[in-house]
Amino acid sequence: MKNVLERLINLLAMLLTARRPVTADEIRRTIPGYSPDSDEAFHRMFERDKELLRSIGIPLETAYTDAFEVEHGYRIDPARYTLTDPGLTDDERAALHLAAQMVRLGGEPAAPEAVHKLGGARLTGASEPMAADLGDSSDLGDLFLAVSERRTVRFGYRGRPRVVHPFGLGHRRGHWYLVGATADGERMFRVDRMERVEVDQRSGAFSRPTSFNIGSALRDLPWETGSDGTVDAEVRFGPEVAWWAARQLGGRVKAPGDDGALVATIPVANNEAFIGWVLSFGDGAEVLGPPALRQAIVDRVRGTR
Amino acid sequence: MSGRTVSRLSRILAMVPYVIAHGGASVPDLCERFGYTRKELLDDLQIVFLCGLPGYGPGDLIDADVYDDEVYIDTADYFAAAPRLSPSEGLALLAAGLAVIDSGQAGPELASAVEKLTRTLLPDEDSAILDVDLAGEPELVGQLRQAAVSGDVLQITYTSMSRDQTTVRQIEPQIVFTSMGNWYVQAYCRLAGGLRQFRVDRIRSIEPTDGRFVPPTNASLPEVRYTPLADDIRCRIVLRAPARWVSEYYAVDIVEDNGSDLVIDFATSDPNVAARLLLRLGPHAELISGPEVAESLSSLRQRVLALYGA
Repeated sequence: MKNVLERLINLLAMLLTARRPVTADEIRRTIPGYSPDSDEAFHRMFERDKELLRSIGIPLETAYTDAFEVEHGYRIDPARYTLTDPGLTDDERAALHLAAQMVRLGGEPAAPEAVHKLGGARLTGASEPMAADLGDSSDLGDLFLAVSERRTVRFGYRGRPRVVHPFGLGHRRGHWYLVGATADGERMFRVDRMERVEVDQRSGAFSRPTSFNIGSALRDLPWETGSDGTVDAEVRFGPEVAWWAARQLGGRVKAPGDDGALVATIPVANNEAFIGWVLSFGDGAEVLGPPALRQAIVDRVRGTR
Repeated sequence: MSGRTVSRLSRILAMVPYVIAHGGASVPDLCERFGYTRKELLDDLQIVFLCGLPGYGPGDLIDADVYDDEVYIDTADYFAAAPRLSPSEGLALLAAGLAVIDSGQAGPELASAVEKLTRTLLPDEDSAILDVDLAGEPELVGQLRQAAVSGDVLQITYTSMSRDQTTVRQIEPQIVFTSMGNWYVQAYCRLAGGLRQFRVDRIRSIEPTDGRFVPPTNASLPEVRYTPLADDIRCRIVLRAPARWVSEYYAVDIVEDNGSDLVIDFATSDPNVAARLLLRLGPHAELISGPEVAESLSSLRQRVLALYGA
């Protein structure tokens, strides 16, 4: 391992300081530790080293060494290698480090390496009795890259190929969603349902709408997003369920009345989602109006098998 | 070659720039900051001393020294800055920060850290392109977290999701956590006499008590579980494609999956819970077996229709 590390650090130093792309052959002849005897052994080693450097985010690029494009070499652009220092204070780094330990993405807390790159942080040592699991998806890193560098993404979704200009990425109720422009307009995709995600090489492939806000693109309540045209529904929640309805509606409702019941006005843009939600209260909730929504509830209940 | 090489290399590439930028650093400082033991640090420095630029003579090698517990590194300008964060690392840090902020449990340092990091990783953006919303109850989550730190027994009024009963119980909170979009508290329940998980959004109220307990020193993120009881009622339901989410939301047994329809077994101690679910799913689900649930559903349907005068 010591030799491997030495070799990798020497390779990095060489590529970071080279003024032109360096060929594999030059690397092999120059850096101690690359097996000079067997071509096959060298290529195996070199492939592994390249993959390892790329896996930790080092921008190892290939480029032709001459105008005739006969021979190619490797380089690392120092400007692309280097962290732009966000200038965190020790306290800010410690807070970020603690947050990273409390939150799991893809089943694991954020790797300590990320905080190390920012300058490391001292641990407080106290055990933290809070944790959040933000679910699992191996595509999230690629999608974040696509969103931040405005690159086109291609993937399969519900059996159809999609081409999307990704505007933003958000986590809601246990799932990650990508919002972006498609040929059919702005659409929302659940990340764990995407298949064969591919990110184009070209950055700046589209422009994001000014002041795009992923928070408002992903409405909190499912019936707020839809194509039914928004109507205000009035719903009465009985005393037994009023607290639970108020919880879900958050700050959108007044306090329950003296009888413990709650009457709320709720903007509805997706009737199907709204009807399902109201019926999840059983006979604890009643839609008071408009009449069309009342009728839709009755129809749904009569049709229930 | 592996994870260990990767993390060792990453740590070296972060530690060296730190030493260079600060014109030297003490061994204890480096150990604390980068999670090194003294031996690990000295081993890594030993490697750094042997690296440098082609030629690899005295003038080409990285000039490094440990003297009187101070580490100095020189003539390695190419390692003067740490490598940039990979997209996954950047996302993991930002998402973690946003999640803790959203839980309402963050101090101002975290907010400013996330802001600075966002500005660096997403420089020319006036848009908000990353968001984490945990749908939390900041007040309840805060109370439970505090109690888990200080060892205060709490009294909660709790309406069970699967049993549809409201109970008052004294609990010793161990860890508050969110998973699959819901907040839970894992606690020793004095009423049940064992470890239980409670959904925070089903806690109607929390009262302090005089009781105290010794908080666990190392609570890790638990798995969410629902333990069916021996006297639970089971029913079998077919979920059509639009209702498949049910299997992700509730603890159910999947009996059959043909890619569009999903057959599940649903266990509950209260048939009304399953009946309300079926009413909500409407044409997207069908009850195959479970006489208690069928009866419950039929009566629930009558009551709802009566409510609407239909």
